Amino acid sequence: MKTTPYHRIAAISAASFVLAGCAVQNPDPQDPLQGFNRAVFTFNDKVDRAVLRPVAEGYTYITPAPVRSCISNVFSNVGDVWSAANSFMQARGHDFFNSLGRFLFNTTLGVGGCFDVATANGAPRIRNDFGTTLGVWGFGQGPYLVLPFWGSSTVRDTFGLAGDFTANQYTSVGAIENVPVRNSLYGLEIVQRRANLLDASKTVDRIALDPYSFVRDAYLQRRAAMVLGHNADDESNLPNYGSGDDADSPPQYIDPEAPVGLPN
Amino acid sequence: MQFHAFSLLQRLALTAVLGLACAFGAHAAPDPNGAPDVFVQQTADAALQVIKNDDRVKRGDLNRVNQVVDQYILPYVDFEKTTRLAAGPHWRQATQAQRQALSQAFRGTLIRTYSGALTGVDNSTRIQTLPLRGNAAQADDLVVRTTVSQSNGQPIAVDYRLEKTPAGWKIYDLNVEGIWLIQNYRNQFSQEINQNGIDGLIRALNQRNAS
Repeated sequence: MKTTPYHRIAAISAASFVLAGCAVQNPDPQDPLQGFNRAVFTFNDKVDRAVLRPVAEGYTYITPAPVRSCISNVFSNVGDVWSAANSFMQARGHDFFNSLGRFLFNTTLGVGGCFDVATANGAPRIRNDFGTTLGVWGFGQGPYLVLPFWGSSTVRDTFGLAGDFTANQYTSVGAIENVPVRNSLYGLEIVQRRANLLDASKTVDRIALDPYSFVRDAYLQRRAAMVLGHNADDESNLPNYGSGDDADSPPQYIDPEAPVGLPN
Repeated sequence: MQFHAFSLLQRLALTAVLGLACAFGAHAAPDPNGAPDVFVQQTADAALQVIKNDDRVKRGDLNRVNQVVDQYILPYVDFEKTTRLAAGPHWRQATQAQRQALSQAFRGTLIRTYSGALTGVDNSTRIQTLPLRGNAAQADDLVVRTTVSQSNGQPIAVDYRLEKTPAGWKIYDLNVEGIWLIQNYRNQFSQEINQNGIDGLIRALNQRNAS
């Protein structure tokens, strides 16, 4: 068998997955690959601090706020088409019509999406993507996964991302045939996205005890809420902190002999 | 007629009091014994009113943010419960002194969170409470949903989790765009406690607060 670079990369990643299994003594059930993930997280953080963040800060510094807002809105507006398609696939009719209406309204009255007139008129953006669609269709999140250069994901959301990328070839920047224009727009989109997150990443730096856990738990919670959609804050979906932790009430033990399927 | 018993001075005084009442009506003292959604709206409005008129808060001056939080937010928050739930089972091993120190340190961390967010407040910032769901009127642990809208950018969904106590409603958890505060600190707390004990966690929090 000839060894191509692909084989080598595959072998290295397989090895790191195996090593990752040994590195952590006390694995979180949602994050069995923590050792591997932490390594990628550190790598991403270094790349971000060395390249992406300074570029995004420079971009924010030299570009006037209205221009940035226009650029961000245009990308979001194009993205609304795929969001609407996902809402449709999730049978969320209200969200589908809302996103579609937003796209039509912003594209025309909002001058090609430059101004988000829909939000100003009480129809805020409803983010949606293929990972959420897979979740609504019943696929579990699977283990948490930090993707190189990209960041937080899960096994399911990685498949979702592949779906989003494919759709991008038809509905967004990917549909542009002129290669230099397309690549410049990809670059601009990445820098703009990072610029939008500058405040968020500063907050994480400031308040997280362990940035890795903080980002992971926020990501998993946010994704779970997106899959639940409008049901996210129904009483039954609230986090249950367990009255065992509550000093006011006696601890609640889980009866190992309780019938399966009934919560204690 | 009885009415004439009012002297001009008294009538003036009454008008002045009524006028003041109207002026303060917009940010009446929150009533923790009233309906939970009204209570959240009042608390949020009162705090927002202060923040909008305070340049030091808007600049992110930590001392001033501390004062505002102490005066306008903390009386309506069961912060010990927040800390307790974040600490999870470890709470039972903590001494009274450790519990207090932990609550205090965690509070410092959260104020840092807020001071960052508050710099984004401008005059068009609005908080709108959404109607309660289901049979919330009878519940003693419920969620009040709100939307924070600003002149630029998308509105943000912020939910508060409240519990009915003998002293009225108390807020103990907070959700921003689907992310619950306590839930997001549980793993970090437990990680730190497992490695360095409760005192280690208190130290780590205080270290962040001091930097």
